[in-house]
Amino acid sequence: MYRYDEFDHAFVSARVEQFKDQVERRLAGELTEEQFRPLRLMNGVYLQLHAYMLRVAIPYGTLSGRQMHKLAHIARRYDRGYGHFTTRQNIQYNWPALSDMPAVLDELASVEMHALQTSGNCIRNVTADHFAGAAADEAADPRPYAEILRQWSSMHPEFSYLPRKFKIAVTGADRDRAAIQVHDIGLHLKKNEAGELGFAVYIGGGQGRTPMVAKKIRDFLPIEDLLTYTTAIVRVYNLNGRRDNKYKARIKILVHETGTEEITRQVETEWQAIKDTDLKMPQQDVDAIDNYFRMPNLPQRPEGWSQLAAARKADASFARWVDQNVTPHKNPDYGVVTISLKPIGGIPGDATDAQMDLVADIAEKFSNDEIRVSHEQNLVLPHVAIADLRIVYDLLLTDGLATANAGLITDIIACPGLDYCALANARSIPVAQRISERFGKPERQADIGELKIKISGCINACGHHHVGHIGILGVEKKGEELYQISLGGSGDEICTIGDITGRGFSSEEIVDAVETIVDRYLLVRTDKEENFLATYRRLGAAPFKDALYNETANAA
Amino acid sequence: MSDITASAAGELWGREGFREDPYIVAETLEETGDAPAVILPLAVWLGLEESVRSETNRKIGVSVAPGESIDPLLPLLDTIPLIALQFPAFNDGRSYSKADILKNQHQFKGELRAVGDVLIDQVAYMLRTGFDTMKVTHAVTLTRLAEHNLHDAPGYYQPGRGSHTVPGAYSWRRVPGA
Repeated sequence: MYRYDEFDHAFVSARVEQFKDQVERRLAGELTEEQFRPLRLMNGVYLQLHAYMLRVAIPYGTLSGRQMHKLAHIARRYDRGYGHFTTRQNIQYNWPALSDMPAVLDELASVEMHALQTSGNCIRNVTADHFAGAAADEAADPRPYAEILRQWSSMHPEFSYLPRKFKIAVTGADRDRAAIQVHDIGLHLKKNEAGELGFAVYIGGGQGRTPMVAKKIRDFLPIEDLLTYTTAIVRVYNLNGRRDNKYKARIKILVHETGTEEITRQVETEWQAIKDTDLKMPQQDVDAIDNYFRMPNLPQRPEGWSQLAAARKADASFARWVDQNVTPHKNPDYGVVTISLKPIGGIPGDATDAQMDLVADIAEKFSNDEIRVSHEQNLVLPHVAIADLRIVYDLLLTDGLATANAGLITDIIACPGLDYCALANARSIPVAQRISERFGKPERQADIGELKIKISGCINACGHHHVGHIGILGVEKKGEELYQISLGGSGDEICTIGDITGRGFSSEEIVDAVETIVDRYLLVRTDKEENFLATYRRLGAAPFKDALYNETANAA
Repeated sequence: MSDITASAAGELWGREGFREDPYIVAETLEETGDAPAVILPLAVWLGLEESVRSETNRKIGVSVAPGESIDPLLPLLDTIPLIALQFPAFNDGRSYSKADILKNQHQFKGELRAVGDVLIDQVAYMLRTGFDTMKVTHAVTLTRLAEHNLHDAPGYYQPGRGSHTVPGAYSWRRVPGA
């Protein structure tokens, strides 16, 4: 993991001191809420429906046990005993008092964390594959490059007042778990034929009210050019992105309106002018950052294989959890464990202080002191020996953290929605909870197989509904909450935006509608190997529309 | 508004503090009489005869709005004494990129000025992207500038003006100072 040096410490402390001064001036009435707004946003403090909300950055979703313990402590001491992990690999606290914010930021700084650039029209927290550095299928760990981008984008003098927020995601595997094609910049770290590392560069992806799949503008960018090329992209965007309409201000609109060929030409022209400047990265710096992310020295634990076989045989629930929540590791004696924050009927992404402490303890003892936050709102233990899976499972079980549903229909992404968010038109969380309860039986979920449901409470799409295999969008119509369904979306390497089925469903109808879709899928799939998305891609929307609208018409 | 800001409101700020602004802002050259230093809108400036632009007995600067392109100025930079980039709203950041292009990519030697709604937190960014001076309307900013309180960071994660490298540090990092 990256560790702060003196430079980083001084930088973050200075920002905290500055914000303390600003909060004091606000509390003393020297600053109006309007004057305070841009200042608090720079420090991750939002004003929500009921209270201020603090969004803490977890760079590329990686944190240590000590950091997780601190997040637990903050939840306990300054909030109501829980935190909410988000689709940006961050954590949000919904109830801290404004007067406590400086103290919270001090606490965070003590474990090398902060809330900078978690809001505002700047380059936001850089996200990465949550299995980075551990997954068996990656070309290289993308996190060193995410860290370099994090540093370079911190309080960037040229890029702190962009037309709109700007999100960068990096993956190091062909199997894209970081959804890079729905980001402003998506970077795919890969090796060329000569075995050298570089990036395929995508720009202009995004969700919101105008969802777009990113366009590839470069197939292979050498590592040394990462910062100059990124600068060229963001500069072209800063100069030419629309500022007349907030909803047309993201780079996806600029790419769409300018055309991929022309915007590529502009980026390349700008890059030619700056490619040999100070931002060209020397290999030694890349190596130094890379060094922080080296694969830990994991001892051989071959005894795990026979133990696992026996433990699986003895306990069907454990076997199901291993099948669903453990992913192959680079080291065959180890596995990557997904800790589901989606208990049946629970609130997606929420964790209590006790749960965070438990995860931290387990990570310190059994995962080389590393934890990840996934954009799917789960936690990950990246380095667990196969031999320790049983004990880790038993420990997780003690506090409701062993739900065996990673990637299944109850592993739902949902934004905070109208329960918390000032922007929302409809509730998301209760819909997620009811769907989860409807499909909660383990056998039923297992039979349905991989199916990603994503729910947003408004058109801003924080719940990523456009890339849900089944996406649900809450809207408000004549004072009622109404839910629109889209099908066939996917945020992985074959990225697609879901198709809207037709008229929406009321809060009472929506769970039945999802069940109707699922039942039709079970009926029309070739066999259990053909998952929902593959079936949808083969058959299109027709059978599902038929099921939804004819059946509802018949029932009405 | 305190006395200090009242007196500073019409003045120009640079790294050395406030000073009197020798330039007057006008819509056309005709209305400036024989003023020795004037700033004209980009379109007007571009419409001037070359001989008028490069007159040696008076300085004719050019003002550029965020939506205007600086490209027509690039071949003429040697003859321009001052470019004023507008910040009609604090959150319109286009002029930061123009500053960097002018000063770092094209080595513009004249005065680069930021004009408009500038928040105190932005001043350090402006200096780093290449601005030399600013003409600020924001009262709180004027007060803080008078106090020399720039809200600057102890270190930077990017190269920029008014900063230098530290031996052994990552190539993108800088600390304040010439």
